[in-house]
Formats: sequence, C-alpha cells, structure tokens
Amino acid sequence: MNATALSIENVDKFYGPVDHGVHAVKQLNMDVMKGEIIALLGSSGCGKTSTLRMIAGFEPVSRGTISVAGRQVQTLAPVRRNVAMAFEGYSLYPPLTVRENIAFALKAAKLSQNVVEEKVASIAKLLEIEDILGRYPSSISGGQQQRASLGRALIREADLHLLDEPMGQLEPQLRAVLRGRIKHYIKERGLTAILVTHDQTEANALADRIAVMEGGVLQQFDTPQMIKERPANLFTGTFVGEPPMNVFEASVSGTEGRVAFGLEDGIRLEYPAADFSHAVRDALMKRKNVVLGIRPYSVRRSADGVTGRVAVNQWLGDQTHIAADFAGGTMVLVEHDRTNLEIGQPIGIRLDPGSLHVFDSESGMAISHGEELA
Amino acid sequence: MTTLQLKNIVKRYKSQTVLDDLSLDVAGGERLVLFGPSGSGKTVLLRLIAGVIEPDAGRVLIGGEDMTDVDAEHRGIGMAFQNFALFPHMSAFDNIASALTSRKSSKDTIAAGVHKVSKLLKIDHVLSHHPKALSNGQKQRTALARALVGSPPLLLLDDPLRNVDAKLRFEMRLELPRLLAAQGATVIYVTQDYKEAMALGDRIAVMAHGRIRQIGTPAEIYNAPADIEIARLFGDPTINLLEVVPQRGPDGAFVELSDMRLRLPGFGDEIVGKQCVLGLRPETIAFAEAASQGAIPVTVEAETPLNEKTVTLGLTARGREILVSRPAGTPGPVAGPAHIAVDGRTAFLFDKATGRRILPSELASKRNGEAA
Repeated sequence: MNATALSIENVDKFYGPVDHGVHAVKQLNMDVMKGEIIALLGSSGCGKTSTLRMIAGFEPVSRGTISVAGRQVQTLAPVRRNVAMAFEGYSLYPPLTVRENIAFALKAAKLSQNVVEEKVASIAKLLEIEDILGRYPSSISGGQQQRASLGRALIREADLHLLDEPMGQLEPQLRAVLRGRIKHYIKERGLTAILVTHDQTEANALADRIAVMEGGVLQQFDTPQMIKERPANLFTGTFVGEPPMNVFEASVSGTEGRVAFGLEDGIRLEYPAADFSHAVRDALMKRKNVVLGIRPYSVRRSADGVTGRVAVNQWLGDQTHIAADFAGGTMVLVEHDRTNLEIGQPIGIRLDPGSLHVFDSESGMAISHGEELA
Repeated sequence: MTTLQLKNIVKRYKSQTVLDDLSLDVAGGERLVLFGPSGSGKTVLLRLIAGVIEPDAGRVLIGGEDMTDVDAEHRGIGMAFQNFALFPHMSAFDNIASALTSRKSSKDTIAAGVHKVSKLLKIDHVLSHHPKALSNGQKQRTALARALVGSPPLLLLDDPLRNVDAKLRFEMRLELPRLLAAQGATVIYVTQDYKEAMALGDRIAVMAHGRIRQIGTPAEIYNAPADIEIARLFGDPTINLLEVVPQRGPDGAFVELSDMRLRLPGFGDEIVGKQCVLGLRPETIAFAEAASQGAIPVTVEAETPLNEKTVTLGLTARGREILVSRPAGTPGPVAGPAHIAVDGRTAFLFDKATGRRILPSELASKRNGEAA
C-alpha cells in the first residue's frame, strides 16, 4: 500500500496566456499514496476544481507534471488515464436508465452478466437508489442523480477515483450514514479517492488527509487532526473548524518567569514561562504583536478565569454554543452538555496555554501551538 | 409588545390545500420559528401573515386587531427574504431607507435611523455601495437592516441565512438573538436548518402538509418529538431508527439488538408484539467494555468525524446500521468488533403504522391523570 497513486509536481494553471493569464493554481506539489482518501478543500476560486480537472484531463496543465500510478498522464486524453470520475456536468447518459448508466462503467471489464448485476445491486443498495434503477436520469431528482453518478464512479476499478462535491445535494438526514458507508466501501477495496469539496464537514468526515487551498496556493496538506491541532497559518486555522477558531490581536511581553499577552479592554493573560518551551518564548519575545487563536471546544469555564459576559447561549441538542463578550470581541465556547447560563451572566474564561495557537500578526504564519513551536 | 394570532387559516391553490385549518398563538416579543421541509407551507403562511396573499378562510390578528382584510403596507410588518431582494439600482443606504420613505419621515430622521441600524449590523462602511459591489454577507445584512429600520413590532424573516456561507451563518446565528432582542419585536422566523431553529426559537412550530405537527420549546421538540419524522428532522447525525417488536421479559418490555436484550423501562404489555420503531439518538449511545452489563456487540465500519464530534458507523450482529457520536478527542474504536451501551430510558419508541411516538406507560397514565 506504499505506492504513490498520484504525484503532482510543480504544476501551474493559467487561464489565458501562460505567465500572463489568471494564475489559478500556483506551483502545486502533492503526493497521494495508494489507498488514501484526499480532500481538496477551499472556497470557490481557490484552485481546487482546476486541480481536479487537470488530474482528470479536462484541463491542460500550464506547467509541470501529473503522474498516476507512476506514469505521466498530463498529455493524455481523459479516457487514457484510468481514472473514474463523478463530476458535476459529467452527467449521466440520458438515453440509459440508472442501472444501465452504472453498469456501463463495467463494460470494459468484460464481466459476466451475473457479476455485473450483483455489483450494481450492491452499490445501489449502499447509495439507496435501488428503487430508481429502472428510471431515466431526466426523471429523478438532483440528489438522486448525484448518487447515481457516484455509483457509476465507485463501481469501477481504476487507479484513481475523482469525486467532485460528491454529497452536496443529499438530504441532511442521509449524509451521516452515507458518509460512513462510502468510506467503508472505499477503504475495503483499497481505492484511492480525491474529492473536491467546499464543505469542511465532508472533508473531515471522509479524508485521511486534507489539502487546504486558497488563492491557488496549497496552504496545508495534512491529516484532519493535524490541521485542527497544528494549523500552518491563520487562514487554515480560521477556515477549518466549526464553529471557527476564536482569534484576538494581542501584544506580547515577558518579565522574569512570565509570558503575558495584552488584549483589548486592558485584558491581560499571564502564564508562567515554563508553560512554553524555550524556543517558543524566544520566538514570542522577538515580536510585539501577535494573533492569539483558540478553538471553541478548548475554551474552559473556571472561577479563576478572565471575566466575560454571556451574550448568547444556544443549545443544539447534543452541544451548547455559548458566545461571551470578551476583550472587545466575542469568545465562542462549545460544551457537550446542556448549560443553563443566563444572558448577561459573568463567566470566568480560562485559556489553557496548551490550547493556544499563536500567529505572526503580519505574515499570518503560525508561531506556536501550545508549548511547542509550529 | 405585539401578539400574533392565526385562527383556523385555510389556503387552497386549485384543488390543493396548502394550509389546512391552521391556528397559532404567538406571544408579544416571542421568537417563533416555523420549521419544516420545503413544501410544508411555511412560506405561504409567512406571506399570508404579511398580507401579500389572502386566506380562503380564517382570521389574522396582529396585536389583537383583526388584520385579515388590511393591506400589506398597513400591517406594520418588517420582512426579509432568503434571496435578499435588494433594488439593484439603489445604494445600500437607499435600499434600507426605502422601508421608511413611504412614511413621509424627514430626511434627518431617515438618515439617523439608517445609520443606527447599519452600525448594529456592521455595514455602516458600505452604505454608499450598490448591491453588486456588496458581498453576499453584506447583501444579507442590508436586507436585514431594511427589515429592522422602521422598528416594526412584527418581524417576518424568511430563511434569511439560507444563501450565505457556513461561517457567516454561524456568525449571524450568534448575532441575531441580540439584535432581535434589542428591537423588542415579535419575530416569525422561517428556516429549514434545525440548528438555526433550535438556536433562535423561543418556540418552534414544526410544519408538514399545511399543518403544525408539533409546537414547543427546542428542548420539547428534541427530547419529546411527537413522531418519527420530527425526530429525524432534528439532530446531526440523524437519529437511529430500528424496526423492532418488543417482547415481554421478567422485568418489563425489551427489544433485541445483536441478540442482546435492551430493556425499555416504563413500557409494559401494551407494546409487546407490536410493530414498532426504536429511535436512538447517536449521542445517547456509548462504547462499552465487552464484559459490562447489557453490552451490545457491533462491528465498526467507519469513523467519520463531524465538527467537534466523532461519528462511528457500526453494524449489529444482524447487519443493522447504528451511528454512535461522542465528543471529539474521547477514546473509541476505529474499526472491527466493539461493544455499545444503550440506555433504554433515553430511547424513543414509535408506532410503526402511524409514526406517532408511544409514551412510556407510567408517563402516559400520569398524563391521563392530569387531564382528568
């Protein structure tokens, strides 16, 4: 399972003349191992879809190479790349039923009729489209078309499976269970999948590693856990995470044995120097201003904390979102129990040094995560 | 503060009954959320309250006054829609002010009102921009500002956060309660997002097929759903629904999961042998040691993190799917055989034929006692 399934090297994408057109993807380098599920995550215009289309062969690369299973493919036609796709706009064949559409993908494999039927039945069951197998694409809903198209891609054997916003249109009640089933299906067969999504929930749920893109640049390529715990920069830190990371501008000062952050409204967060490694203290002392980040679920309530005032307390069934006025801004806390806090009530807010992310206020690059250097 | 009463409202389009003898009482200053799938009648109801469409039967009372035959512009209502509906040829300022100009207020009064509400909504720096120069979030805030600027006693908001991105939606979800409370208005808020409904509603009216299926506080709806459909609409991941036929045991009714017995405290003979659906919220299920009492064996199929939760898809011995959710960062199995613990007291039981929730007999008899 250690083979490289996809290798993207120094790829640039320009729409219009090279070096003068719109620079949609910038100097992209990425290796994907066989059996991995990768999510390309970002908002619209970040370059994720251009990247997927270059891998598929729908867009030429402006510079650089793309290798699938060890063979350079960037000049090959899509059908010669041995990739299976579920794309928006790469639609189902209208004259074929859903069953025929899905089975069509197996044609090249020259399987017996029985095997084809069995495979179609099993993927249809997984995607809950058994009752529409006999229907034509024009007579089914958008969500059903999406699932049929996903079925057509997943049923194939290929070096890569490329899935564009695979679950965007599904009704919310189906999503959690389908995510679990699809992940299990992909893992069980050892498929390599690249999915593009703007929905971080989908990326976190399915992907082994997430490639966060913004402005055509790969910001971070790492496991969901590392992206959550060690965001490379302020963009990644605030883009990934729901509810988003709390951020506050702060000045840094150090005295004998203490590290202090000064926030708005005269709020001062003081920590024993030992809470941070030497390297972190050195890095902090070189700067005057930083941005402090802390994830909502890492904020603790404690009597000895800094006082904030409850502005909103929203219970959502299995968690509570609390917003408190704090240091001229809003501090959001997530708790897993139901809390009965009154609006206006003061609460003590504790920011554990181990949960603090510190970013450079100019470059936005991470300086430290907890006591460790970034 | 203004009350709203709807009395036996009926609305038909051709042969289709869109609102079916619907009645509703909203207290002054209350935030009532109308929640339901598309086509359930929410938007029609909102338009009917606004006076844009007329009911075929029934009365609309605002502040105790019968407004059924009063024109939309004389009902004293502020509105905002999901598609923003801003005038493209007007600046943000003029768009907001357009809500006041019909009242013949002085220029200074209008300007003061617009600036005050724009500051509250953090759009005071883009007031001179035309809609096409505004971001989606700013458009949405402009539309809200227009609805709020005249301080209408009754505010109708039709899915105003639908077309903004997730981050902004979250931000506004935190901001709106303060904003609305500061206005002191009675608010009817339409949404299809259950989190928004729970976060913003003092009460939620769940609509289906032109009727209110259940009305109550967020806690009442979540913890005591009236039927399967309502239980399914609230919660992420969605509630587990398993078809079961309860049996009689030595200490009350039980159902089988993975060939193990799950006791249903409070339920007695009335459910034995009945076709039921068991509802288990994913967060009420925990992973357990194999040896612990009542532990139910499952096979873990996949782990799919969901925001600050870890969601696990498991299969029972009979191949039934069960979703388990727990706070992120807490330990749990990633794959292969495992055991879960289910507390029968947190389980819902539904009548498979009608979809209605079956109350535990103790609770049911207590309710009957109260009624008598």
